[in-house]
Amino acid sequence: MDYKENIRLALRGLVDHKFRSFLTMLGIIFGVASVITMLSIGEGAKRQAIAKYQDLGVNNIIVREKKFTDQELEEVRIKFSQGLSIQDANTIKEIIPGVLRTAPQAEINTEVKYTDKSSKSNIIGITPDFAKMLNFTAEKGEFISEEHYKKNQKVCVLGAGVAASLFKNENPLGKMVKINDQWLEVVGILKSKTVFTETVGELASRDLNTDIYVPLTTFLKRFSPENTLTSEIQQITIQVDNSSRLKETSTLVESILQRHHFNNNDYDIVIPYELLRQEEKERQIYNFLLGAIAAISLLVGGIGIMNIMLATVLERTREIGIRRSIGARKSDIMSQFVSEAVALSITGGIIGVLLGVGLSLSVTLFTDIQVFIQPYSIFLAFGFSVLVGISFGYLPAKNAANLKPVDSLRYE
Amino acid sequence: MLIEIKNLNKDYVMGEVSVPALIDINLNIEQNEYVSIMGPSGSGKSTLMNILGCLDTPTSGSFRFRDVDVSTLNDDALSAMRNKEIGFIFQNFNLLPKVNAIQNVEMPLIYAGIKADERKKRAIEALDRVGLTDRMHHKPSELSGGQRQRVAIARALVSKPGILLADEPTGALDSKTGVDIMRLFDELHAEGNTIILITHEHEIANYAHRSIFIKDGSIYWDKMNENTSENKR
Repeated sequence: MDYKENIRLALRGLVDHKFRSFLTMLGIIFGVASVITMLSIGEGAKRQAIAKYQDLGVNNIIVREKKFTDQELEEVRIKFSQGLSIQDANTIKEIIPGVLRTAPQAEINTEVKYTDKSSKSNIIGITPDFAKMLNFTAEKGEFISEEHYKKNQKVCVLGAGVAASLFKNENPLGKMVKINDQWLEVVGILKSKTVFTETVGELASRDLNTDIYVPLTTFLKRFSPENTLTSEIQQITIQVDNSSRLKETSTLVESILQRHHFNNNDYDIVIPYELLRQEEKERQIYNFLLGAIAAISLLVGGIGIMNIMLATVLERTREIGIRRSIGARKSDIMSQFVSEAVALSITGGIIGVLLGVGLSLSVTLFTDIQVFIQPYSIFLAFGFSVLVGISFGYLPAKNAANLKPVDSLRYE
Repeated sequence: MLIEIKNLNKDYVMGEVSVPALIDINLNIEQNEYVSIMGPSGSGKSTLMNILGCLDTPTSGSFRFRDVDVSTLNDDALSAMRNKEIGFIFQNFNLLPKVNAIQNVEMPLIYAGIKADERKKRAIEALDRVGLTDRMHHKPSELSGGQRQRVAIARALVSKPGILLADEPTGALDSKTGVDIMRLFDELHAEGNTIILITHEHEIANYAHRSIFIKDGSIYWDKMNENTSENKR
């Protein structure tokens, strides 16, 4: 008997008992669907996290000034710390091997005006190195250049959000905006960025699209903070040549800053990559748990198949006897029943894949959880269900094949 | 010689005691014989039928079918023997309920590895032989008892076996239908088939040309019928 006959026979078995077949397949259907859904939710979360940290740069260390009240700030100054300074940034770059660049940045939050429109923005003074370290590209015009910086030109680059709210459909390039009492020319617009909804370590969440970038030189000359005790700069971004050096570099950075700041702990050090790794580790445990649950449900599905197949063999003892009496070999009976189990699990697997993909897509549709369906997860879940069919169909099939023809013919 | 049985014994082991079912059977059956095997229930005639049908093997002695010693065959070879040499006809027909007459009849050919169109051709031929061409696409539940038995006979004939082995073939039929089936056997015998009939009814046994009576596991008598039903007609 060839395999085509077996497949035909197995499919007919399925169709003849539609409802029972469906019930038998339920376990496999939910098992496969849950494997796919869980993996795609896990992968979606991972990709979202990576995107978030990529904006901060995976080879970067971020040193940020602590948020102080005026009183706390005074206390720190009394203890001789001048806060973060360009000097700190330069020392770090000179002394620590493996540091490629440092980018000091100064910030104020103030009003920006264009004609009758205005917007509250973070004005950020940066050096030209900033763009090389972070994933910043101008969508229109250019980013802050070496020339802008050296000649402390009165220019600015707008975030996508602020550009849209001030200029609507107008082309902002070449226009003048008023920041505090200074007029600056718009030379570039940034691409829209992902909005962080969560804090990253000590970095508060914020919408990067409302930022306005100006040369640090211009910033320091034109924008004076309200409180004269405010530090020269608010953040230093440090880029190392290799992510394996992040930890040791951050230790060195800390010891340099401790010295410069007379042991005043007025800054935080954040390593985005380390945070990413930590988050990934936590997620791994979580994913493993989810995977284990899915695998167990597949296993239960397989046991369900075995259960029904065993009952089916009993119910069909007479049929087995008839087939044996007209010349079916043990192996023919064996492959008939294994084929049926596999047909059950494959059909269940296909329905499960469809259900899993549908569930994953509706998760994205109805919640703000991002999902990503891994193609391998489909093959994995499907392959596993076929394996379940073969292995859990084997025992009932063997029982069927080993029935004695004489006894099974007499079975009522 | 088609069938040659020598000093055959069959014991059933029940727990620690072995119960003899057949004791020292000697029996020869030739090509195109029409033999009935009779006996009360528990006499061992079913056991003998199972051995003749290659469903079971003897405990000792030899059973040669066309000079092949069946008692030495393994399970696969026994299956092949049943497939090619034995045409079973059962009291309760033993058709597969979910498939139609053609599919039932071609079943042995599937296990013989014969291609689909050839199978179908031969199945139709066999159904034609038993006079059921108009009911080919009906399932057993849509057929009368006599028609079901004809499907079963067609299934037995389809692989052109060495013997037709009929176990109480009229047991589940009314007497008129039973007579029809027995006439069909007569015709099949006339066409050259070898038929072995297991029954406990004298009337049915009388259709055969030779009668064997079994009692307590042994052959009680083995004689030629002078007045066969065939001759009487």
